[in-house]
Amino acid sequence: MQSWRWKSLWLALLASWLLVLLGVFPLLRLAVPTRPRAGVPQGWPHWLDAELLQSFAKPGELLEDGPQPPQALRGGSCNWGACFDTSKCRGGGLKVFVYPAAGPVSETHRRILASIEGSRYHTLSAAEACLLLLLSPDTPTGECDPVPPQWDGGRNHLVLSLHPAPCPRTFQLGQAMVAGASPTVDTFRPGFDVALPLLPEAHPLRGGVPGQLRQHSPRPGVALLALAEDRGRWHVAGTDFSACPWDGRCEQDRGPKQTHPGATLPNATFCLIPGRSPDALHFLQALQAGCIPVLLSPRWQLPFSEVIDWTKAAIVADERLPLQVLTALQEMPLTRVLALRQQTQFLWDAYFSSVEKVIHTTLEIIQDRIFGASAHPSLLWNSPPGAILALPTFSPSPSDFPFYHLQQGSRPLGRFSALIWGGAPGQPPLKLIQAVAGSQHCAQILVLWSSEKPPPTRWPKTAVPLTVIDGHRKVSDRFFPYSAISTDAILSLDAHSSLSTSEVDFAFVVWQSFPERMVGFLTWSHFWDEARGGWGYTAKRTNEFSMVLTSAAFYHRYYHTLFTHSLPKALRTLADEAPTCVDVLMNFLVASVTKLPPIKVPYGMWHQEARPPPLEPGGPGLTQEPQPAAHNCINQMAAGFGHMPLVSSRLRLDPVLFKDPVSVLRKKYRSLEKP
Amino acid sequence: MCASVKYNIRGPALIPRMKTKHRIYYITLFSIVLLGLIATGVFQFWPHSIESSSDWSVQKRSIRDVPVVRLPADSPVPERGDLSCRMHTCFDVYRCGFNPKNKIKVYIYSLKKYVDDAGVPVSSTISQEYNELLTAVSDSDYYTEDITRACLFIPSIDLLNQNALRVKETAQALAQLSRWDRGTNHLLFNMLPGGPPDYNTALDVPRDRALLAGGGFSTWTYRQGYDVSIPVYSPLSAEVELPEKGPGPRRYFLLSSQMALHPEYREELAALQARHGEAALVLDKCTNLSEGIPAARKRCHKHQVFDYPQVLQEATFCVVLRGARLGQAVLSDVLRAGCVPVIIADSYILPFSEVLDWKRASVAVPEEKMSDVYSILQSIPQRQIEEMQRQARWFWEAYFQSIKAIALATLQIINDRIYPYAAISYEDWNDPPSVKWGSVSNPLFLPLIPPQSQGFTAIVLTYDRVESLFRVITEVSKVPSLSKLLVVWNNQNKNPPEDSLWPKIRVPLKVVRTAENKLSNRFFPYDEIETEAVLAIDDDIIMLTSDELQFGYEVWREFPDRLVGYPGRLHLWDHEMNKWKYESEWTNEVSMVLTGAAFYHKYFNYLYTYKMPGDIKNWVDAHMNCEDIAMNFLVANVTGKAVIKVTPRKKFKCPECTAIDGLSLDQTHMVERSECINKFASVFGTMPLKVVEHRADPVLYKDDFPEKLKSFPNIGSL
Repeated sequence: MQSWRWKSLWLALLASWLLVLLGVFPLLRLAVPTRPRAGVPQGWPHWLDAELLQSFAKPGELLEDGPQPPQALRGGSCNWGACFDTSKCRGGGLKVFVYPAAGPVSETHRRILASIEGSRYHTLSAAEACLLLLLSPDTPTGECDPVPPQWDGGRNHLVLSLHPAPCPRTFQLGQAMVAGASPTVDTFRPGFDVALPLLPEAHPLRGGVPGQLRQHSPRPGVALLALAEDRGRWHVAGTDFSACPWDGRCEQDRGPKQTHPGATLPNATFCLIPGRSPDALHFLQALQAGCIPVLLSPRWQLPFSEVIDWTKAAIVADERLPLQVLTALQEMPLTRVLALRQQTQFLWDAYFSSVEKVIHTTLEIIQDRIFGASAHPSLLWNSPPGAILALPTFSPSPSDFPFYHLQQGSRPLGRFSALIWGGAPGQPPLKLIQAVAGSQHCAQILVLWSSEKPPPTRWPKTAVPLTVIDGHRKVSDRFFPYSAISTDAILSLDAHSSLSTSEVDFAFVVWQSFPERMVGFLTWSHFWDEARGGWGYTAKRTNEFSMVLTSAAFYHRYYHTLFTHSLPKALRTLADEAPTCVDVLMNFLVASVTKLPPIKVPYGMWHQEARPPPLEPGGPGLTQEPQPAAHNCINQMAAGFGHMPLVSSRLRLDPVLFKDPVSVLRKKYRSLEKP
Repeated sequence: MCASVKYNIRGPALIPRMKTKHRIYYITLFSIVLLGLIATGVFQFWPHSIESSSDWSVQKRSIRDVPVVRLPADSPVPERGDLSCRMHTCFDVYRCGFNPKNKIKVYIYSLKKYVDDAGVPVSSTISQEYNELLTAVSDSDYYTEDITRACLFIPSIDLLNQNALRVKETAQALAQLSRWDRGTNHLLFNMLPGGPPDYNTALDVPRDRALLAGGGFSTWTYRQGYDVSIPVYSPLSAEVELPEKGPGPRRYFLLSSQMALHPEYREELAALQARHGEAALVLDKCTNLSEGIPAARKRCHKHQVFDYPQVLQEATFCVVLRGARLGQAVLSDVLRAGCVPVIIADSYILPFSEVLDWKRASVAVPEEKMSDVYSILQSIPQRQIEEMQRQARWFWEAYFQSIKAIALATLQIINDRIYPYAAISYEDWNDPPSVKWGSVSNPLFLPLIPPQSQGFTAIVLTYDRVESLFRVITEVSKVPSLSKLLVVWNNQNKNPPEDSLWPKIRVPLKVVRTAENKLSNRFFPYDEIETEAVLAIDDDIIMLTSDELQFGYEVWREFPDRLVGYPGRLHLWDHEMNKWKYESEWTNEVSMVLTGAAFYHKYFNYLYTYKMPGDIKNWVDAHMNCEDIAMNFLVANVTGKAVIKVTPRKKFKCPECTAIDGLSLDQTHMVERSECINKFASVFGTMPLKVVEHRADPVLYKDDFPEKLKSFPNIGSL
């Protein structure tokens, strides 16, 4: 009995342990992988009968939704298609008629009108204009605008008010477009109205102050944030920044306070700008300072938002998430900070730094709407040099311009056209033509004959086609965009220029690396003349230069288009009157576009002995000092541009083995080294 | 334990006649057996229950089984849409909160079937497309199951086609959603808004503050920056195979394929065709088709029958005219065919117009100008047309071709509004992959010449050549524009010399010690670098004159986005070996400069340390070579520009190392360097180096000019 009991006891014990072992271990093994599985989101179910589901539209419903007659205007609200009559604008782009000032107006108002009248858009006749521009008066004392004569319900009118209107308008806007400073989001009609920046009282009319950015990346130790305060002031906050000063309510412990009187520019990486309308003024300051604007739920439309991609230059954040925005700013990758910073400067310089630029940008936007498919692509608006300087009439393709090869992954065309400006008596420049035609990169030679006498009938036989174009005997003709020019590169020459084939070859190869710049042989440099209190320039050989002579220079053919179609007429007339001025003007133009110096390549001194004396006094001579009239020219140009665009360079680009003590057989451009 | 305690208490009653001694045995025995049984039982049933539950949720569900919700006739109806809504007024951004991934969380309500008081369904439960859309959202990174953490809510009520639902009852169904709260943060998808006779351009269902992703918005109903304009999906996208057809001239210049056109428009089009003959083709419905052929896939002109959408591929421009609705599914077909849409629908907000640049892919013609459409199109140059054709096809591929693409683009747009600092760029949205691949966006694109006063920081990498190091320091300190000197002490076994032993120089001198002897340490973005310009210089470069260095800095100022160095090197394609070769002979070209002494922007240090592609950094540290080639690759790749070699200098000859500068060493060196170029080119996937034939010299270099009047007279040795 006892043993049976013991036996059964042990048996039961064994059996139960066996059961436990069998049960628990597999259970453990299985339980481990199932744990994460339990947390897998189940998501939207995969329906068994998904195949049987009907389409959202019945067959044919998408194709026949019931024809509808053309719609009538809705409740007076306008859009481009309905309210603007483009039929008047065909051919010749945008023609703008400006209503003359009614009654006494301020000096600024008068100058703005004058600036529009001098621009390429202006027309004198209201009948042929496609856009009628009405400039709102800026003084409260001025007459509140009466209804203009050609009003016609506001059709094809643009009411431009650079500053918030001082007096209520006496007439209905009707179908007129409104270009107003910082319009509120609710009243703004996208694609029809134009949003302008809110300009400070004393915004320069022309030229304008360049951006304040001196370096690409932020200086180490510079404050992360500056906070917009009242009356154009900034509060610079340190990097150990709490959310406290955010809403402007908490006064204690605001860190090192750097409140500047008046409208000084913020010195920080990011500039926080509240969304209320008066703070729009801070926006331009931030742009100028190269301080990345962080807009907190702006209630106003960003300026020129129709064309400018503000996500590249500013951050529009939600004011309700201060900490999140702060963290995002602190953690923003350096690459993005760099890009945003540089874009602020580019936009400031291209569209905002002067009243003239703001107005021209407005007109370009309207012109783009008229052009439709041939308007500026977004790239032209949003990368240097900007849409005012990149004329869409030149080409629809960005890779035809000298500026966008990197972004487009393209290269300038591999050959050049030589454009010889002749007209001097005597024989055709045989040696020059032969030297140029000898270049493997030469595609054609164009002789621009601008003399009273007929051109010689016999021209030397060359391997490349030679064409004679009859010029209009004006100096500025040499920069006309002749349709005969078939290559991107132009080698501009005078009949009495002297060049060797290898000089041409090397200069062209250099130009291919810098297609947006001028590459020349002879240089001038400008300087500030204290004694005369103005600019001067010299042809003396110095350690730096800022202009290259167009009597022998490579540049992109686009500059001919720009010279002829975008420069104010007054400046071109000036160049026609004083022929040396044309070199200065061309250099001003290119420098104002590129903001970079031209490039100098080596030029054999032996040319000078072979060279005839310059024909006109002050003409493009090598050692000759420019005449006083020429000094006058550079100052008039500087006034016309509103600033001095020229930039000096201290280097010359030579062939890699230039004048090195190695065998000349190694050298590709060995004839450049003739003594 | 629990069980045994129980038995202990009940013991006397259950087994009364047993002795206390045996009772303990039995109790233990039973409890153990019981435990075993329980364990076995759990093992038997638990795993099965896991599997079956997951099976049940993923599959084996039918639309017919979804729960039915009865809507009382008097249940609340939301307000009509608020036209003044903007993200910062109507959207509750707090729900999105901070999110390290900068991704919104989207919740999808579970599917229900709504019926009215009489039991009549409010709408068809769900359409195939809406089911696809919700599946796409659910499969994406945006999806969350946790309703409390969601920032955006998508109802499962199908609103894609307004004609398929009852407006008031659907609104009631929306209003009773568990988190409706006036529609805040709710996203509704609708492709066919309005209904006869007046065809509103936005969904008529009252929806209060809910965001609407709608097809066919007009300027009057679209709340800019709040709503999202989406395409009308064309089911043909999935039904029909249509291989891509490259850009180029096509048989018809202008084609109209829409069937339901207002007679007035049709007249205009007929007049157009009359004027331009073969080049224009206006198609219409086929009236005399035999049975069995789907009418949707055929178009006719007089008696000629055309296959749709194939015929679209025969045309350069395709008219997309407004019908009763502004949004037309034909737009999707047209884009797919690589035909440039000519959009004649005033006030239509094009799909995804917030981010897509439609000017690049379409031509918009005002309705009033319809008669001029042909001449407008003819003024567009052929090159631009081809660009537009390519762009049209790319838009279809990226944003139109499936419901999934439409859903994800919509969510991305909303996401970018909420996390603007992480938003994707214009180029990301608009550039086709081929353009993205070929283009370079220079990180230092602004033309800017930094002021000379800023100066540069010299970084000397050294190991233990103290004597030579001190000579370099003394030489470099003579350069006028030097503003700071940083010595990177790369020797962990030896301390740098004491402060008193260092040469006394006029600028601050800092020594940083490194944790490991790595070549990459030379390119680390040290906090001590305060200037933008950096001069990397080896501890044995004593031959460079002060003029040479100062001139190098001046050249860098004119080219701040490039590497500016002294001896130049070249890469060549070896046709025999079919690979790249490193060349240090005296050639007429350069594509690299040695960083034994080179100026560059300090941003490139950041790039080298944190953004160097692939394993290049490790390779350099492992081989203790080629860090300069890696830097040349990096800068050329990111800027798309060539290096600038300054002055005639050809090599850094150190007087001390002439003894080991033997021929054999030279050859292994060349082989190793060539290997580096091949390795880096394969990592970059391309050869970024640019070859140029120029170098920079001072303006008056070797000119016949008095030496003492030259700015940099002391330049010229090799």
